Amino acid sequence: MIENGINRRDFLKVLGWGGATISLSGCGFTSIENGKETVVSYVEFNEYALPGIGVYFNSTCAQCDAGCGISGRVREGRVLKLEGNAVSSVNHGKMCGLGQAGVQAHYNPDRVREPLLRTGNQGEAITWDKALGLINEKLGGVKGDEVAFLTGGVSGHLKVLLKNYQDALGSKNHYVYEAVSPSVVRAANKKSYGVEMPHLRLDRAKVIVSFGADFLGAWVSPVHFSQQYAQFRKGTRPEGRGVLVQIESKMTLTGANADRWIAIRPGTEGVLAMGIINALGKAGLAIPADVAAASKAYTAERVSGETDVSAEQIDKLAHLLKTRTPSLVLAGGAAEGYAHGSQNAAAIAMLNHVLGNVGKTIEAPSRVPFPQVEAAVGNRIAVQALNDQLAKDKVKVLFVYGANPVHTAPAALKLKDNLKKAAFKVVLANYMDETAMEADLVLPLDSWLEDWGTSVPEYRAEGVQLNITQPLMERLHPDTRGAGDIFLSLLKQRRAEEYKKHEDFYAYVRASVLSIKNALGGMGKDDDLFWDETLSQGLIKLPGASAALSAKAGPNISLPASAAIDDAYPLRLIPYVTPNMRDGRNANQPWLQESPDPLTTIVWDSWVEIHPVTAARLGVEEGDIVEVTSRSGTIKTQVYVFPGIHPDAISIPYGYGHQALGRYAKEVGVNVANIMDQITDKETGELAFNETRVKVSKTGKRVIIVKEEGPAGGQQMGKKIAVRKSSDKVDLSKEV
Amino acid sequence: MSVTNLLENWSKVRQAHPVGDAPHAEYKWAMAIDLDACSGCNACSVACYAENNLPVVGKDKYGHGQAMHWMRIERYWDEDGRETPNQGAQFLPMMCQQCEAAPCETVCPVGATNHTADGLNSQVYNRCIGSRYCSANCPYKVRYFNWWDYPTTDNVWPAEMTQQLNPDVTVRGKGVMEKCTFCVQRTYAAKNTARNEGRLVRDGEVQTACQQACPTNAISFGNMADAESKVAKQWEKQKVELAEEEQNKDNQVEPSALRGYRIFEELRPYPSVMYLERVRESAV
Repeated sequence: MIENGINRRDFLKVLGWGGATISLSGCGFTSIENGKETVVSYVEFNEYALPGIGVYFNSTCAQCDAGCGISGRVREGRVLKLEGNAVSSVNHGKMCGLGQAGVQAHYNPDRVREPLLRTGNQGEAITWDKALGLINEKLGGVKGDEVAFLTGGVSGHLKVLLKNYQDALGSKNHYVYEAVSPSVVRAANKKSYGVEMPHLRLDRAKVIVSFGADFLGAWVSPVHFSQQYAQFRKGTRPEGRGVLVQIESKMTLTGANADRWIAIRPGTEGVLAMGIINALGKAGLAIPADVAAASKAYTAERVSGETDVSAEQIDKLAHLLKTRTPSLVLAGGAAEGYAHGSQNAAAIAMLNHVLGNVGKTIEAPSRVPFPQVEAAVGNRIAVQALNDQLAKDKVKVLFVYGANPVHTAPAALKLKDNLKKAAFKVVLANYMDETAMEADLVLPLDSWLEDWGTSVPEYRAEGVQLNITQPLMERLHPDTRGAGDIFLSLLKQRRAEEYKKHEDFYAYVRASVLSIKNALGGMGKDDDLFWDETLSQGLIKLPGASAALSAKAGPNISLPASAAIDDAYPLRLIPYVTPNMRDGRNANQPWLQESPDPLTTIVWDSWVEIHPVTAARLGVEEGDIVEVTSRSGTIKTQVYVFPGIHPDAISIPYGYGHQALGRYAKEVGVNVANIMDQITDKETGELAFNETRVKVSKTGKRVIIVKEEGPAGGQQMGKKIAVRKSSDKVDLSKEV
Repeated sequence: MSVTNLLENWSKVRQAHPVGDAPHAEYKWAMAIDLDACSGCNACSVACYAENNLPVVGKDKYGHGQAMHWMRIERYWDEDGRETPNQGAQFLPMMCQQCEAAPCETVCPVGATNHTADGLNSQVYNRCIGSRYCSANCPYKVRYFNWWDYPTTDNVWPAEMTQQLNPDVTVRGKGVMEKCTFCVQRTYAAKNTARNEGRLVRDGEVQTACQQACPTNAISFGNMADAESKVAKQWEKQKVELAEEEQNKDNQVEPSALRGYRIFEELRPYPSVMYLERVRESAV
């Protein structure tokens, strides 16, 4: 025993303190307690993180504007994978490939990490204080109407804040630009149904006739429509298995799934719609007299000649539509993309009226009870309007957020040159994209998996939904900020008194949502409880009455005579909006580059689709590098001989050919916007996507196309691999 | 387990397609894929990349047939000489068919690929020596070889992207074969949970990543040993028998009005994936 009463433990304590004293004696007045806050015990891990177990947080996908709810799997504080949020009425727990790739937007190695100020051709990293101060300074001597904002579609509280900032600056120049939006169809819908975006019931239709609406691939809300489509195809449904007829010049993903795919001569969609109305009348369907009179001239013979669709096929279609009701007729990108696109869309809408589908498969959408958060939807005329203002030297300070017009707008606009006229351009960006490359100041954004926000999707699936965006993990890079935080800081420069109570955008969103708590169904609930429930759900379903459908399509439709063949440029160019690439904003996500285009199975490059007959005439075959020339320019790419296209047309995918953005996108493929002519729809002024005429010439070079398809080229060589059955030889009624 | 024991009880240890006296025990994972619902959108394939740590190989390697997509969509055209494909295209999601008598298993010189008790065709990465015999013998071409050391290859998983990797799934190195596992990490977790609670995995409790993403619900996955599971009911309604090499319904004089079939059944691998034929309307 130790006699003086010091036991072993006390002895070690003394030794420990002594040791600490000795080791620290040379370091000034430091104590052993210094820095203890940075030592975190594993048992006191962040409250939400359970080591080894995935925790799911709900938020909203921002890869496109459909607004699907997501449920992100988080482990040890990292987000690993996105699943669909089952509660969301948009996607009911499902996801598309584009959405799945969202994690690669977050972890992308090419994100902008600090504010960059242009000095000559270089970007110099600066602090946020300096960046925001600089904006204030540059706005100093500038009048309100000399400040312009170009954004993608915005909604929710970010839209409110942005509007307030614009008001504070006295600027009314908010250009909302979406390169691939259905803007002509919106206008035609407004005229025909009284609403821009009616609620579609694909699941209730017995027949869907779609004039180039790629609702399974890239049109409006593809995951939602895919689910309705799955219902529509069920043989066990009371209406029986639905029939899909797709009419378009270039086969889309939806066309590839059609029972009947009809290759129509480009631009004659309206003529065919009138021809079907005429045929319906002949088949005995009661048609209003004025409509009948308008369609009388569209005889089967004439329509067949103009559209390249056989008279027999038109009769079959009319018979099908007459006998199987309700049906649903859709006008999509392929029909609206012409100088007479509005007329095409109006003729197609008239077909819905004639068939009595309005009110049955075309329903009124719900009204958004708070119009200030409703989506500000984009169109293509916005970038044209901005470009005009820039050209006239009317813009001194330009803010760009959520849009990359230098890449997506036709080069014929010369936007890149005109941008130079604006003295100070601020671009809020995730990547150094083509527009950010032109900026004077680049502000680095949080990824959408790090940011706060709310949004209301334009297409209201089943009632209105206020989607919540919340961070699924800590910021990856310490110096990025959310768009909401940036605009709030800028607003504080103008209206300090009014906004000082909101510490950050999160506080603003929380306060704003709680201020309308009662209207959101939180009556009588504790604020904290209601907010936690909202975050846990990832969305709030809003009560809302339906808007009313109104207005009947007038029969005043004037479709142009078939355009004469242009000898210098004999082919139509159809820029193809692919399900993966859309407008190209996500091109730097490698999963999307490596996920084959469903139709051609090509990866990591652009291509030009040419019908076998046209290819034979031009003397080109798969892998030939050709020059595609329009009045606006020339691009070179590889030929893919493709049966699913009208012989008068060729098609090149949109969104490729980046000159910036990042390592996975730069110089992959060619940018079809470089050769698109700036021709617009006569009524709406929207860029007519499919109006460009081109010629194709050989370069003599060849490549081996990199694609999923094997050397057999989509043939099964007599094997039973992917099998098809005719509907009259199968009994679907007893399936599970 | 001693070698003697292994050899003496070989019939119990070797898991092959069930025969009368040795049916599957608690679990037999299987799938049914409705080609009439499948739109060919590729969501399943991207979901598989996200779940299973599949490397993105880039254009050159893709061109050399080195893509690592465990789940891929094949696209076929009609072959009757029609001028335009006026009934669209045919899409086929293709992944490991988890054959009951898998041709890949018998040729592996080191026993790296085996049949598991729950009816999966497993791949033991750290046993694999890269002979690639299995891939050569697979009629579906769904085995993918690591020709490169992807974790150290530029731009496959640059710094930040490594944080996305699923910690439940191994990142494979150079020289091993890999393939679809029916998301074994998910079935394993579900079986553990169920065992802790003293029950079997319920139907719908576990989903594969492809099934979970599929926007048209074309893929069903579940336990065939559970007669009440959706997948078992689908197989039963379609009169497709797991243990048959030729389905009775296909031998009738009257053609069957059912849609279920298995690919390359005649090779007798007894695949665990049933496809449902695509339907096309005759009236239009």
